[in-house]
Amino acid sequence: MSTLVGIAPGRRRKDRLMRGVLAATTLIALVPLALILYELIKRGIGSWSADFFTTDANGNFLGDPGGIKSAILGTLEMVGLATLIAVPTGIGVALYLTEYGRAGRFGSLVRYFVDVMTGVPSIVFGLFVYITLVLSGAGGSGFAGWKGAVALALLMLPIVTRSAEVVLLLVPDSLREAALALGAPRWRVVLRIVLPTALPGLVTGSLLAIARGAGETAPLLFTAAIINGTSFDLSQRMSSLPGRIFADVGQAQDRLVDRAWGAALTLVMMILVLNLLARLVSRRSRLT
Amino acid sequence: MPETRTHFIEELRVVEDQALGAFDMVVEAIERTGEALQETDIELAQLVIADDDRIDGRYLEVHQSVLSLLARQAPVATDLRLVAALLDVIKHVERMGDQCVNICKLLPLAGHEPPSHPVILAKLGEMASCARSQVSQAKLAFARRDVDLAEDLVRQDDAIDLLNRECFKLALEIGDDPDTREWAMHMMLVARSLERIGDNAVDIGEQTAFVVTGLFREFTDASHPDGVPPLPAP
Amino acid sequence: MTQSTTRKARPMPTVPTGAPAARMPRERPKPDAAIGRRVIVDDLDAHYGPQHAVRGLSLEFAPNEVTAIIGPSGCGKSTLVRCINRMHEEVPGARATGSVRLDDIEIYDPSIDVVSVRRTVGMVFQKPNPFPTMSVFDNVAAGLRLTGARGGNLREKVERSLRGAGLWDEVRDRLDQPGIGLSGGQQQRLCIARTLATEPEVILMDEPCSALDPIATLKVEELIEELKQRYTIVIVTHNMQQAARVADRTAFMLTGELVEMDLTEKIFTTPGDTRTEEYVTGKFG
Repeated sequence: MSTLVGIAPGRRRKDRLMRGVLAATTLIALVPLALILYELIKRGIGSWSADFFTTDANGNFLGDPGGIKSAILGTLEMVGLATLIAVPTGIGVALYLTEYGRAGRFGSLVRYFVDVMTGVPSIVFGLFVYITLVLSGAGGSGFAGWKGAVALALLMLPIVTRSAEVVLLLVPDSLREAALALGAPRWRVVLRIVLPTALPGLVTGSLLAIARGAGETAPLLFTAAIINGTSFDLSQRMSSLPGRIFADVGQAQDRLVDRAWGAALTLVMMILVLNLLARLVSRRSRLT
Repeated sequence: MPETRTHFIEELRVVEDQALGAFDMVVEAIERTGEALQETDIELAQLVIADDDRIDGRYLEVHQSVLSLLARQAPVATDLRLVAALLDVIKHVERMGDQCVNICKLLPLAGHEPPSHPVILAKLGEMASCARSQVSQAKLAFARRDVDLAEDLVRQDDAIDLLNRECFKLALEIGDDPDTREWAMHMMLVARSLERIGDNAVDIGEQTAFVVTGLFREFTDASHPDGVPPLPAP
Repeated sequence: MTQSTTRKARPMPTVPTGAPAARMPRERPKPDAAIGRRVIVDDLDAHYGPQHAVRGLSLEFAPNEVTAIIGPSGCGKSTLVRCINRMHEEVPGARATGSVRLDDIEIYDPSIDVVSVRRTVGMVFQKPNPFPTMSVFDNVAAGLRLTGARGGNLREKVERSLRGAGLWDEVRDRLDQPGIGLSGGQQQRLCIARTLATEPEVILMDEPCSALDPIATLKVEELIEELKQRYTIVIVTHNMQQAARVADRTAFMLTGELVEMDLTEKIFTTPGDTRTEEYVTGKFG
């Protein structure tokens, strides 16, 4: 008749043990993250003030060292320019891979190189730009904000491409087929059907790439350099938040170190906002 | 044996067997009727009349089974033709049973000691025998899907028709005795019923050809003594 | 090979290669003209890489009739149909040789724009696929906008297509709502309306009802019955009862070849080929 039996006691124990182990590993992973956030907030919030955000670093050894206004602006400008370069290009490459190069050998090659690029250390991008653009004095100057933007763009490009490709592949082929069967040329299918459908996912991917780019220090060290004072001119040296942090953290003055913490907190907050935005956009999308 | 629709194939076989079983009942009814006729056995005639309920019952069974198959199994092609033919065939079988009943009902009217004309009686006996073999052959032809055997039924039917005409002629010359004349009239009706049984058997033969070829063709028709050309495919 | 009473269409005259190719007319003569084109397939071979999906197939789809194509999975019926609107070649590694004509226009002629073929030969797919980012109105209009059609009254054309698909009354008050908000059956009729908007002359349907519930299926079948008065319709279906209900003619395919094609009534009462008989009675061992 019925072969239903109760749970063997040994199995119940094993279940509980497994749950315990997994919970423990989760905690182990979360603890450092929580500690980082705690430290950041504890040490950085003290520096936050109106002046902090509205004055520039002035290089004073004594007295008020100034705020991080130019660093914020520098990050915004350079990351902005990098986004303008990386996002369209990255999406373009992804479009090529999904619409035209899905099966071909060239497509596989491109995909492979993009994958490799995601693994390249960020400092290498900085070095590359240093050698090709800075040393050569392209654009009439050495270090320049726009060169920093180029380095960031190179870093962001494979990230954008990778995530864009995933999202574009999620667009069902049935939609492409339907559009083609209506008699649309392929470019129109891409422009009017594929891109709009994938848009939320593309935005999410781009925001994440931007968040990454905003936080990178190494590429900027050799390209945009770190300066005090304000600079809006992309063709000159430019400050940035990561750069500011790097410069300040090793100094002897406490006030400069505090400023570094404040800048770090600011940077993390910016990245957090970008991530939240990405989340919001993705929740409204139907694909991701 | 295909692996699909085994249940349906089985059901179809059962319905066909039900219908073919009815043939056996009719053969028995014809045999008894013939005997009752020759021996003027009224009790046997009553038995035939009573037993016709079984044939009617079988008709209803087959009819219901066919409806069920049509509704549930959606037969097509050969299966559809078979199922449609079964409806037609069982109707003809039921009619044949009714003809036997008609004959048996006439016997008491002819009286217990009827004036019998041995020649007419003998010819009627021949007709009954012929009808019986026609029904058996119709059953065999249908069961085997044998078109040639089915078409041969026409030949036998011609024999019955001939006997019918001979009986008719004999009846015309039977004389002036009113009792004898009355008996002869009844015998004509008997002959007609036997001849109708033969016609029904031929119709069943036509259904056999329909199942096999998909074409419905009248083997003989009053207006086309040489056979009717097959209806053109739609 | 096995003996077969293959009912092929009578052999078609070959299209002379040097003859000037006709172009698909850009402006449709009259939108209400009940013209369906005759589709003539002659010796069509289709491959997916090494796989030979359609083998030397020849048949005709009569104008203003519904022709059903039935056959077991993998027999090539979907491939055949995709060769008629030249969607087959969109699959990487796929190729097709042979002739497909709409009346006397050879669609595989190199001078013919494939895009114009697809406007004349519309297609409805198995799973309803309205564009998710568009409203009901935009979905129907997509057929026109994607093909760069200009001028004309868009609203009027959209309404006409929706009426043609039997959907107007159900959506007239929610034209601006997302197309994917409709029920399955409505979505499929929306896709049909979208196809109708480009004013095709042939409509191909690849198992259009297999994702729909029975009532939606019957509505679509009713629609097909009306549409055939104005278009030539080819429907691929694995539902034989549907083919029996809807089609004037039925073609039975097996492993890439045409086994038999005849009036539906004949195929389902007295099929000529034993393979057809076995398939339609379900005794495919």
